[in-house]
Amino acid sequence: MNRLSILLIIMMSSVSSFADWEVNMPRGVSPTANAAYDLHMLIFYITVVIGIIVFGVMFYSIFHHRKSKGAKPASFHESTTVEIIWTVIPFVILVGMAVPATKTLIMMEDTRDSEITLKVTGYQWMWKYDYVEDNVSFFSKLDNKSNEARQLGSKIDVNKVDNYLLNVDNEVVLPTDTKVRILLTASDVIHAWWVPEITGKKDAIPGYINELWVDIKKPGVYRGQCTELCGKDHGFMPIVVRAVPRQEYVKWVSLNQKNRVADKSE
Amino acid sequence: MASVRSTITKLSIVVVAMYGFSYALVPIYDTFCEITGLNGKTNDVAYTGNDIKKENRFVKIKFISNVANSAPLYFEPAVTEMTVQVGKPYNTHYVMKNNSSKQLHTTASPSVTPGKYAEYFKKIECFCFNQQTINSGEIKDLGIQFVVDDDLPTNIGDIVLSYTMFDITNNVMESSKL
Amino acid sequence: MSTNIDHIKEEHHHQPSGLMRWITTTNHKDIGSLYLWFSLLMFFIGGFMALIIRAELFQPGLQLVVPGFFNQMTTMHALIMIFGALMPAFVGLANWQLPMMIGAPDMALPRLNNWSFWILPFAFAMLISTLFFESGGPAAGWTLYPPLSLQGGNSMPFVIFSLHLLGASSILGAINVIATILNMRAPGMTLMKMPIFVWTWLITAFLLIAAMPVLAGAITMLLTDRFYGTSFFTAAGGGDPVLFQHIFWFFGHPEVYILILPAFGIISTIIPAFSRKKLFGYDSMVYATASIALLSFIVWAHHMFTVGMPLAGEIFFMFTTMLIAVPTGVKVFNWVATMWKGSMTFETPMLFSLAFIILFTIGGFSGLMLAITPADFQYHDTYFVVAHFHYVLVPGAIFAVIAAVYYWLPKWTGKMYNETLGKVHFWMTTVFVNITFFPMHFVGLAGMPRRIPDYAVQFTDFNMIASVGAFGFGLSQLLFVYILFQTLRQPVTAADKSWEGAEGLEWTLPSPAPYHSFDTPPKVD
Repeated sequence: MNRLSILLIIMMSSVSSFADWEVNMPRGVSPTANAAYDLHMLIFYITVVIGIIVFGVMFYSIFHHRKSKGAKPASFHESTTVEIIWTVIPFVILVGMAVPATKTLIMMEDTRDSEITLKVTGYQWMWKYDYVEDNVSFFSKLDNKSNEARQLGSKIDVNKVDNYLLNVDNEVVLPTDTKVRILLTASDVIHAWWVPEITGKKDAIPGYINELWVDIKKPGVYRGQCTELCGKDHGFMPIVVRAVPRQEYVKWVSLNQKNRVADKSE
Repeated sequence: MASVRSTITKLSIVVVAMYGFSYALVPIYDTFCEITGLNGKTNDVAYTGNDIKKENRFVKIKFISNVANSAPLYFEPAVTEMTVQVGKPYNTHYVMKNNSSKQLHTTASPSVTPGKYAEYFKKIECFCFNQQTINSGEIKDLGIQFVVDDDLPTNIGDIVLSYTMFDITNNVMESSKL
Repeated sequence: MSTNIDHIKEEHHHQPSGLMRWITTTNHKDIGSLYLWFSLLMFFIGGFMALIIRAELFQPGLQLVVPGFFNQMTTMHALIMIFGALMPAFVGLANWQLPMMIGAPDMALPRLNNWSFWILPFAFAMLISTLFFESGGPAAGWTLYPPLSLQGGNSMPFVIFSLHLLGASSILGAINVIATILNMRAPGMTLMKMPIFVWTWLITAFLLIAAMPVLAGAITMLLTDRFYGTSFFTAAGGGDPVLFQHIFWFFGHPEVYILILPAFGIISTIIPAFSRKKLFGYDSMVYATASIALLSFIVWAHHMFTVGMPLAGEIFFMFTTMLIAVPTGVKVFNWVATMWKGSMTFETPMLFSLAFIILFTIGGFSGLMLAITPADFQYHDTYFVVAHFHYVLVPGAIFAVIAAVYYWLPKWTGKMYNETLGKVHFWMTTVFVNITFFPMHFVGLAGMPRRIPDYAVQFTDFNMIASVGAFGFGLSQLLFVYILFQTLRQPVTAADKSWEGAEGLEWTLPSPAPYHSFDTPPKVD
């Protein structure tokens, strides 16, 4: 035990100043991510309470009903009443969990009344974004600095790279306080699009379309990653969403719009 | 020992049956998809019925496109959005161009989202029912004729129709060699 | 009946010696030992791969391996640990224990038993050899999701063929187990008088028979998609990649319980023995196991909540998954009630069993969290999931196997292991298993996806801790091997009934147990 604590101290002291000790899910900036966070905490607290009760009884028994303390074994080995009780109580607790979970799920699956449609296409190993109504379209991949640093034997200190592995060349820009419908598909294999603070993940499947919606309440930059194994560079296709106020978004769109006809002659 | 033999026989039947069941899951899944709109699969044979009545309500349909495996194809909807009357047939088309230097064979797979409304999107005619052959540099208009079923629930928001175009030239070449 | 037994005896008196003895053996104890040694070897090979993974993940940036090889390691680690280490370990325990526990001379189908073991080394030789192919081994994850798995190199048909062999081996083993349990019990041993380990294995064997053929079907479809132009799973030909996931997890979820139900049986055997008190709620334990097994066939899609199912589907699979908590809870409560007012001692098997209950329950709690679909959209495919299934499989299934080995070792060998070393092994293993896997909850919740060779710098600290824990865990298992060999060098001293509170027919036999367990069936009342 002693050796272990020394080991832990050594490890902690060698920890880089960039790192943090985040132990929980981040709170979200959209209704869906917040709902997921609230459910997560609710279920977590319930399991902690159950754990304390069950392990409490168990440890009481371990300390008091041991042979070395002269405990004599009792002879009971069944009780229908007790067993019915501990079948029914968990069932009731589960129903209590299922109700808010179902409500949240129904809310998450309702993509009606979206103002903007963003189509996200997964490629090996980058993302393509199409703003369906606004005629903006671009690819987004890992930025060059991270890409150089991540090569085997690059000798670059990744701690000095800005947002190592979580930075892209072209950010997705989305307006705040706007319901955005995100359509997901892929060109080659299955990918999954995930930005924890904005939304849970959903798979991007070649040949098929999935959808989810976001409504970002706070301007800022939010980062995420591909979360379905998609080949060798699966770990290197990040997502960066910049949420800006509506007017700024409109300006950004007009700067980035392009002519669809010109595209055809490419 | 006879009882052991009968146990073995029964269990072997279960093993074979479960193997068969894994294959049976393929049609079961398709039926399941049709009922629930899983994955937004639409009808893959032309709708020929005439029991759809025109209704005085409208629904917005968005058209999007994808090219699988970064094939050398331009493939885009001619119109990206249509507001259509429920029960009335409409025509639209996608545009495809072969940007490669050789003839290509392609096939398209449709997907509707939200998936549960896929069954109300009836295609009377669609390029996705057939394979396409397109010469180098050729531009093709690929037509769709569709009608939205009057059984469509109300208050559903927009429907998105997506086509993914696959280049299947290699498969076609291989099977023609056989 | 007696002439029959004499005949069997005679046959075995002429058995070859040396290596040929092991190749031709049809004896349940020999085959049980083969399975267990094989499992131990695979445990170390799979563990070595895990250490390559943890070494690369010790700090951000790529230091040791390229991403493609990293993916081969995660894929092979899973395949080897599941099909090579855990399943053979439980089959080995079944081989040793079932005939002794039900009062039979041997398994019902001894030759089949020999085949089902000897398929394994060939299957694994083929599987592992793919790592040396120019195009590398399988890298699409053990779940083999298309279209990614269809992109794989030349290894794919070899991997699929070896999985077919492993499946065949498991099915043959399961048929043997069921035939033995249903037909060879001692007179008077009704089903509801069977030891609980026998019950859990009977149910597991039925799961194997129902689930393994489905895996065979799924991977055969993959093979024909790749080489024979079918399109079960490619959208271009009207197929659907998500269909594979449904078929795979229809096998995959029962598979999870194949790995844990025999462990439940072991824990339900050891806890009463060292509490010196009968198992609480034997009947409800049997019913709970059976209902877990039945539920396992209607919860599969909780592995794939993010594929975009219809709302009704998501709700259905969320509810059924949560329901599993009820019978699993009953099991945990029954174990605690068994200890309650017992007279406990804490020998190594008991320590591992107690750690099992606590750590498996923690894995169960994170499982319950994962069942909540809206929250799962956040947890899915992150290290939170990695933490969850390692908690149920390492301090769950593997601890149960280790506990079983310590518990029955004196019966198998007639020799007692060194209790002090056993306790040291326990404490090292338990401490390191938590150092390895507990921090994974944190990085997962903070947003680290699984199956990535490199990560953003904010995940560094907990990854370092996990890596240190993993190496500590690996080293601790060398102590286990040392303890095993040291035990084998002891003289035969173990009592027939090696543990004061042990119950069951196997303890009525001499230690070490005779070559043929029960020549005359014992009477059970």
